[in-house]
Amino acid sequence: MILSDILAGALRSGTSVMLASQGELLSERAGVINLGTEGSMLGGAMGGFAVTVWTGNPWLGTLAGGLCGLLVAAIHAYLVIVRKANQLATGLTLMFFGMGITAFFGRSFVSERIVGFNPVPIPWLSDIPFLGDVLFRHDPLTYLSILLVPCLWFLLFRTRLGIMLRAAGEREEVLFASGINPKLVRGAAVLAGGFLAGIGGVQLSVAYTHSWVENMTQGRGVVAVALVIFASWKPARAMLGAYLFGAAQALQLTVQQQGLPISPFFLFMLPYLLTIAALLLVERRRQSSTPEGLGRVFSGEAGG
Amino acid sequence: MKTKSSRKFAGIFLMCVLLFAAVLSGCSQPGSGQERPEASGSAPASAPAASAAPGTGGTAVGFIFVGTKDDYGYNQAAYLGSEAVEKAFPDLKVLRAENVPETAEAERVMEQMIKDGAKIIFPTSYGHLDPALNVAKRHPDVVFFHQGGLKTADNLGTYFGTIWQPVYLAGVAAGKMSKSGKLGYIVSVPIPQVLLNVNAFELGAKSVNPNASTSVVFTGSWCDPGQQANAANSLIDGGVDVLTQHQDCTKTVIETAERAGIKTVGYHADASPLAPNGWITGSVWNWSDLFVDMVKTAVEGKFKGSKYDGKYRGTIADDVVRLTDFGAGVPDDAKQLVEEKKKGLLDGTLNPFKGPIEDQSGAVKIKDGETLTVEQLESMDYLVKGVVGNIPK
Amino acid sequence: MKTDTTGAVLVPADTALRLRERIKPAAWTAVIVLAPFVLYGLFLSAYGINPIQLYVTMVKSAFGDLYGFGEVLIKATPILLTGLAAALPAKAGLVNVGGEGQLAIGALFSTWFAVFYLNQAPAWIGIPAMLLAGALGGGVWAAITAFLKVKGRLNETITSLLLNYVATFTVGFFVHGLLKDPGSFNWPFSPEISPALRLPVLNGTRLHVGFAIAAALAAVVWFVLAKTRFGFRIRVLGGNRLAAERAGFRLNAMYFWVLVAAGMLAGIAGMIEIAGIEGRLRPATGANYGYLGFLAAWMAWNHPLRLMLTAFLIGMIGVAGNSLEIGSGLPSSSVHILMALVLFFLLGAGRRGKR
Repeated sequence: MILSDILAGALRSGTSVMLASQGELLSERAGVINLGTEGSMLGGAMGGFAVTVWTGNPWLGTLAGGLCGLLVAAIHAYLVIVRKANQLATGLTLMFFGMGITAFFGRSFVSERIVGFNPVPIPWLSDIPFLGDVLFRHDPLTYLSILLVPCLWFLLFRTRLGIMLRAAGEREEVLFASGINPKLVRGAAVLAGGFLAGIGGVQLSVAYTHSWVENMTQGRGVVAVALVIFASWKPARAMLGAYLFGAAQALQLTVQQQGLPISPFFLFMLPYLLTIAALLLVERRRQSSTPEGLGRVFSGEAGG
Repeated sequence: MKTKSSRKFAGIFLMCVLLFAAVLSGCSQPGSGQERPEASGSAPASAPAASAAPGTGGTAVGFIFVGTKDDYGYNQAAYLGSEAVEKAFPDLKVLRAENVPETAEAERVMEQMIKDGAKIIFPTSYGHLDPALNVAKRHPDVVFFHQGGLKTADNLGTYFGTIWQPVYLAGVAAGKMSKSGKLGYIVSVPIPQVLLNVNAFELGAKSVNPNASTSVVFTGSWCDPGQQANAANSLIDGGVDVLTQHQDCTKTVIETAERAGIKTVGYHADASPLAPNGWITGSVWNWSDLFVDMVKTAVEGKFKGSKYDGKYRGTIADDVVRLTDFGAGVPDDAKQLVEEKKKGLLDGTLNPFKGPIEDQSGAVKIKDGETLTVEQLESMDYLVKGVVGNIPK
Repeated sequence: MKTDTTGAVLVPADTALRLRERIKPAAWTAVIVLAPFVLYGLFLSAYGINPIQLYVTMVKSAFGDLYGFGEVLIKATPILLTGLAAALPAKAGLVNVGGEGQLAIGALFSTWFAVFYLNQAPAWIGIPAMLLAGALGGGVWAAITAFLKVKGRLNETITSLLLNYVATFTVGFFVHGLLKDPGSFNWPFSPEISPALRLPVLNGTRLHVGFAIAAALAAVVWFVLAKTRFGFRIRVLGGNRLAAERAGFRLNAMYFWVLVAAGMLAGIAGMIEIAGIEGRLRPATGANYGYLGFLAAWMAWNHPLRLMLTAFLIGMIGVAGNSLEIGSGLPSSSVHILMALVLFFLLGAGRRGKR
C-alpha cells in the first residue's frame, strides 16, 4: 500500500523532471550542455498555462509551452553555437532570464483558473492491483512522457538522424565528411531539448498543479541536468533517475506523516543526497561514456 | 593576447560608466524637473522632523512584501490592504516592493522608499522586523507598522490578526465533517505562526471529535506548487479526508483536494470558487480597514500613544480576521457548532488555549486554567497532542 | 554627484583616444553595452514607462550619494568573493557553481563560532577567528565536492550545484534548531553576534571593511595565479591537462586544494555577510550571491582584478533594480531581465575579446 503510494508519487512528482532530462539528454548528446533547462521549463510552464487560459484547451497549451521552451533554448543555441559563448555561463544566465521574463509576463495569469489535464485512469489496466495504481492513473502528459522514452532511444540509436546527432557530440569530423553542418544538427538538438523541457514545465503547471506562480520549477531543471549525467546519456536511465528523484520526494513526505523523530530539514535534503549517491554508484561502475564534445566543456577547454 | 583582452574589457566597463554618465547629464533637464517635487517634499520635512510627529508630512506610503502578489495568499492579502490605502489617500503615493528577502537587503529598500518621500512604511513579513528596527533607529520621523512582530520601538509598532481564532473554528467544522478523523495540514517551515495555527486547528477538531488527529507535512518552501501537490497527494493516499494548509500560495492544494473528492479548509483568502464540492470554510485576513485606519492615525500625527504604538492584535471581534462563508456541502449541525464556538470567542467565554494543554509527548505545556499572553502564543514551539508530525528541536 | 562629473570628464577623453586608435572595435563595444539598455528601454516603453527617466532614477540611487554608492559596494562584496570562488578553479579547468552553498555554510560556521565561542572575545581576536571559521565552513563544504571529484570521479559542476540545495536545508536545520535565538520568540534566526564582532562601518552608510577584505583577497588570488609557482601550475593544469599530467603534477591533490581554496573564499563571503551587515544568520542569508558571483567571474574571464569591476557592475544593477521596482511599479523580477540582457550581449561578444 505504502509502496504503491510512493511509486505512484514518484511518477507524479518525477514526470516534469523526466521530460526536462530527456530534453537535456538530446542536447548533451549533440555536445551542448544547457543549464538553462530551468529557464525553458519556466517558459513552458508559463506559456502553456497562459495559452490554456486563453483557449481553454490544454493540448494547445502543451504545444505553446513546448514552443516557449524552444524559444528560450534558441537563445542558448544562438549564443553557444553561433557566437561560441561559454556554455555554462550562458545556461546560468538563461536561468535568470527565464525567471525574470516568465515572472514578468506571467504576472497577470497568477490568479487565473484553468481546466487543465486531469488524471485519466486507463480502463481495465488501472484495475490491476498495484501496477494499476502505480502506472495507470495519471494525466495524459505522463502517459505520453513514458511513451517518449523508447521513441527517443529508437531515434538516438536506430536512426540516421540519431547517428548524426551523436556524431555532432562525439566526432564532428564524421559529419563534415558526409557534408552535414554539425552546427545545424547541434542547434536542432538544443531546440528539441528546449521543447521537451517546456513540455516538462507544462506538465507541472497545466497537468499537475493547475496553477502558475513565479519561479514554480524551484530547481527541477537543475536536477534534470544532473540526472542526465547520472543516466550516462541513456534515455531509459534518465527516466529511472527522474523517478528515483520523485520517489525520494514521495518517500520524505510519507516519512513525515509517520511522525518519526527525524527533522524535516534532513528529509528535504534526501532527494538531492540520493541523486548524488546514485551518481556516485553509476560513476563507479562505468568507464567514461561522456560525449567527447561535452567532455571539453566540462574540462573548460571548449566555449571560452 | 592578454593585454588586448583586458583593454577590451576596460573598454566595455568604461562604456558602461559613460552610458550612465551620458544618461545623467543628457537627461538632467527632464529628470530634475520630475524629481524636484519629491526632493523638496522630503528635504524640508526632514529638517523639522524633531518637532513634527513621526509619520506626518510624507508624500508616500511604502509597502514591502516578502513574495509576490500571488494567488489567494499571504502577500495577496497585504497587497489588497495596500490598495485600500491607495484608494483612501489619493494624495499619498503607494510604493511597493515585492520579493524583498528577509535579510539586510530589506534595509536598502526601506531607505529607498524613505528617500522617495515615504513617512509610513509597512514591512509585511516577520523577517523584515530586524531590518525595520535598524532603519527606524535612523529615521525617527518615519512610522513603521510591522506585520506580526513581537519587538517594538519608539516609531515602530507591530500589528497582526489572531488568525488562530478562525483557524480553530475551521478545525471545529473539519473535525465534525471528517469521517476518518484524519486531517491533513500542509505547511512550509516550522515557525511559531505556523505551529500556532496547526495547534489551534487540532484543538478545534478535537473539541468535537476526541479521536481527530492532524497530520502535518512540511514542504520547506512558502510557495512550491509542485511540492504542495506532492504533499497533498501523499496525505490523501495516507487517508486524510480534510486538507488544509499554511502556505503563501494556496490554490494548488485546494484544487488537488477538490479533484481527489475530499474536503478542504482555506487559509489567507476565500477560495471557495476553486472547490465547489469540497469547500468547508476558510480563515482570511481583512487588512483593508485596519491599514487605512493605521495610515490615518499616523498621517494625523496621532501615532504616539495610539493603539498601534505597541503590539496591536486585531481579533475576530475586530473583524481583522474572518471566517469565510460555509461551502454548500457543510451540514447544519456543523455550522451550528461553529457558530456556538464563535459566540464564545466573541464574548470571551471561550479560549482554546486555556490549559491544561499537552504537547505531543504528553508533557503539560499550559497548566490547568492558565492562559497565554500574545508573546507566549506567538512564540509557540511545540505541537499539541493529536498532531502527527515532527519539528526540529 | 561629484563622482559622476569627474567620471564624465575622464571617460570621453579616454574613449576619444580609443576611437582614434580603433574606431571599429570601440563602436562595436558601444553597441554591445548600449544594446541591452536600449532593448530593455523599448520593453519598458511598451509598458508605458519612460525608460530614460527610469534609468536616471536608477543611476541616482546607485551614485546619487554616499549611501547609495556604499550599498553598491556592499552588494558587490559577496559577489566578488563568490566570483573568486568560481574564477580560481576555472583557471585549473574546474567549474565551481557551488559558491551559493559554500557561502551559506561559511556563514553558518562563522555564526556558530561567534555565538558559542567568541561572544566575549574582543574584536582583534574575534573577527579574525570568525573569518577563519567562515573559511573553514566554505572549505569543508567545497571539500565534499572535491572529494567526490577526486575519489568518486563525480563531475564537480553537478555536485556543487546539487549541494547548494543541501546547504540551504542545512542552514534551515540549524536556524530552526540548535542555533535558534532564545530571545527571538522561537523565530528561525540565530542569536545576534556580539557588537564587538561586527565589522567597522563607514559613517552615514552601511559600508563596512568587508569590501577591503574582499579586494585584498582578489589581489592575493591574482598574485598567486600570476606570480607564484603554484599559480603557474594551476594555469598549466587548466590550459592542458595532459601536459600537466606529463609534467608529473599530482592532479588530484591540485584539484582538491584548488576547490577547497575556492570554498574558503566563498565561506569568507558568508562571514562578511554576517559580521558586516546581517549580524545574525537567517534562512535566506546570502541567497543568489553564489550564482551572481559565477556570472561575474565569467564576465571577467576569470581574471581576479577584472572581477572587481564586474562584481561592481552586477552589484550596481542589483541596487538600481530596487529603485526600478519602487519607482515604476514593475515586478521585482524585471531586473533579472535587464541583468540577463546585459550578460547575453557580453556573452555573445565575449569571444572576440578573448581571441
